[in-house]
Amino acid sequence: MKKRSRMIAAVAAVLMGIMTGCGGEKKEEVSGNPGEIKVWVHFSDETPEGKAWQEIVDNFNEEYEGTYKAVTEYIPRSGSGGGYEDKVNAAITTNSLPDVITLDGPNTAAYAHSGVIAPLDEYLEDADMDDVLDSIIQQGTYDGKMYAFGFSESNVGVYYNKAMFKEAGIEEDQLPTLEDPWTWSEFQSVCKTITEKYQTPAINMQLASGDEMLTYGYTPFLWSNGGNVVNEDGTKAEGYFNDEKTVEALQFIQDLVKNGYTTISPIEKGFETGKYAMLLSGSWTMADLEENYTDIEYGILPYPVSDTTKELVSPTGSWQLAMTTKTEEKDASSEFIKYATNTESSKIISLGNSVLPIRNSTIELIKDEVSDGMRVLMEQNQMSGHARPVVVAYPQVSRAFQQAVQDISYFEENPDIQKVVDARATEMQQAIDNSLK
Amino acid sequence: MFKNKKVKENIIGYGFLAPALTLLIIFLVIPVCMVIYYAFTDYYLLTPEARQFIGLENFKRLFADPIFIKSIWNTVKFVVWIIPVQLGAALGMALIVNKQRKGNMFFKVAFFAPVVMSLVVISILWLYLLNPNEGLINTLLEKVGIASQPFLTSPKQAMYTIVFVSAWQGAGYQMLLFLGGMQNIPGDVYEAAEIDGFTKFEQFWYITMPLLKPTVIFVLLTTLISAFKLIVQPMVMTQGGPMNSTMTMVYYIYQTGFTDRLGGYSSSIALIFTTMIGLITIVQRKLVKEDKEV
Repeated sequence: MKKRSRMIAAVAAVLMGIMTGCGGEKKEEVSGNPGEIKVWVHFSDETPEGKAWQEIVDNFNEEYEGTYKAVTEYIPRSGSGGGYEDKVNAAITTNSLPDVITLDGPNTAAYAHSGVIAPLDEYLEDADMDDVLDSIIQQGTYDGKMYAFGFSESNVGVYYNKAMFKEAGIEEDQLPTLEDPWTWSEFQSVCKTITEKYQTPAINMQLASGDEMLTYGYTPFLWSNGGNVVNEDGTKAEGYFNDEKTVEALQFIQDLVKNGYTTISPIEKGFETGKYAMLLSGSWTMADLEENYTDIEYGILPYPVSDTTKELVSPTGSWQLAMTTKTEEKDASSEFIKYATNTESSKIISLGNSVLPIRNSTIELIKDEVSDGMRVLMEQNQMSGHARPVVVAYPQVSRAFQQAVQDISYFEENPDIQKVVDARATEMQQAIDNSLK
Repeated sequence: MFKNKKVKENIIGYGFLAPALTLLIIFLVIPVCMVIYYAFTDYYLLTPEARQFIGLENFKRLFADPIFIKSIWNTVKFVVWIIPVQLGAALGMALIVNKQRKGNMFFKVAFFAPVVMSLVVISILWLYLLNPNEGLINTLLEKVGIASQPFLTSPKQAMYTIVFVSAWQGAGYQMLLFLGGMQNIPGDVYEAAEIDGFTKFEQFWYITMPLLKPTVIFVLLTTLISAFKLIVQPMVMTQGGPMNSTMTMVYYIYQTGFTDRLGGYSSSIALIFTTMIGLITIVQRKLVKEDKEV
């Protein structure tokens, strides 16, 4: 008998454990003192970004001591941004979002449309918005209102190997500048020279990545040619993505593959090890080159431009800050967002994390402190940065775009570009229609 | 008195069941019910409150969705190829290590090693080996005079490449099961056969295979179901491409649910997927049972 009751007690104990284990999930919603806000960020505090961020937060807390206080929770994301966004999604379901969150550029529309984040316009009147880069405003604006404020910027250029260029007979004075970039046909003839000289593709354009890089890196070719992915208010893809301007831009890409100037299956680290003369990549590659591949002497060239328009367009976009609709600390939250995006904070994060500034005044401030390559990207960003489309169904639109680029790079299977973009435009349109129902 | 005792025993019995049952209900029954419900709603991850019942709308959209249709075919293609390749390899390896030989242990460990490694690690490893330009495989092929192959970058070859990599990774586990089955076959049966003048192949065909049948059925069942759940290899190696040629059903569930935030749509794919697996299991069990009666 005793044995039995002991067993029952044991079972009961296990059961209790399960119950309390589940109950423990519910976090207590103590929002602390008035004026104290919680901020979720997508990086770890060990990274250079995290360290720069903490400096900004500390500065804020010092300046507003006694009034406002910001507390950061670091939630590192996995490679594709998974971990962090899952946590945000879960918090939306359980209604436990913090006061301020970070979000990736292309998420603005979805979050704003769903009422997760609140418009900032009324708080931004004294934030000197004329000083902020257009690309930041484009990226954070949905339906005419500014919902999210990017705190750093990114940009892409054509990295080139100085020694290889010289050996192939391309002189310094033939190189393009921001004022006079290469047109597509000029770019192609350079590729031809290099490909013939080295018997390898001239440039790795990251065609094989099959991810967001394709949307990010290739949309500028469309925009430069006067084309577009979706219309201004993000409601139509059919008639925009499948027009002749897109077809021309994609034809340029397909020709590069067809002629062997670029490749869908590049050698791993081909540019970094001196096998390819050029690489289409963002500011982040510089850190890698300077740390691990110091043998390569490189420079950065602006984006090639359409022959017809000759308009320089370059990709931009990065993570932003936004205030959630559920916050009760609207003044503190907006004050913090403004602080984290002012000239000084932008300088801290730009230098600390080797990213691009979001304000013209910051660019002026740090222009002479950064490397030549960084300066090219900073100025290209200032002159020609274009944010990615702001649409609610961005994940699907972006994927359809990526697949269109991938499709046309298989030129033997898909010689008819018009057919590819027609099919993909239909896909985009369906996703957009469904998202706006 | 007697009745009282029985009641008590029952209580204790259920008490012991309770922890397992509770976990099962929380982590299996409730989520499954939620998925069934979500499949008929327009649940969008960012607006969980605003979801509405939309009947069969999701399913109508699904069957007009070319990527979904393609993902079904890709999954079926994978299953149809992986079963013979992987089980054949497993059986062959089991036969090799079944005999007592010198260095047997080495082969056992070598054949089993890929199973204990993480699928992601294996996928990345093969990604390097299969690089069309400088990968080891193509270098070897060129050495023996075969033109280099595009492998994962070709819409025609990508799925077969994944079949090969998956079979290489998984076969060691089934080898172990086959080996267990083989070692359960008493040695005197073989002795008798040898005396009757059976060749080695006849011994394999008329003794090993029939006596191994229960193991084969078990292995077939488990491999089939896990083969349908393919996601990691295409996710890491091809992102479902090129041209959706390696997009599988489970990967599409993930993509629509977590990337596109379409909770409802994703749930409806999950529902179809579960139904498919359920049906296959039922058919399989029926077939196996009939087999047993004969």
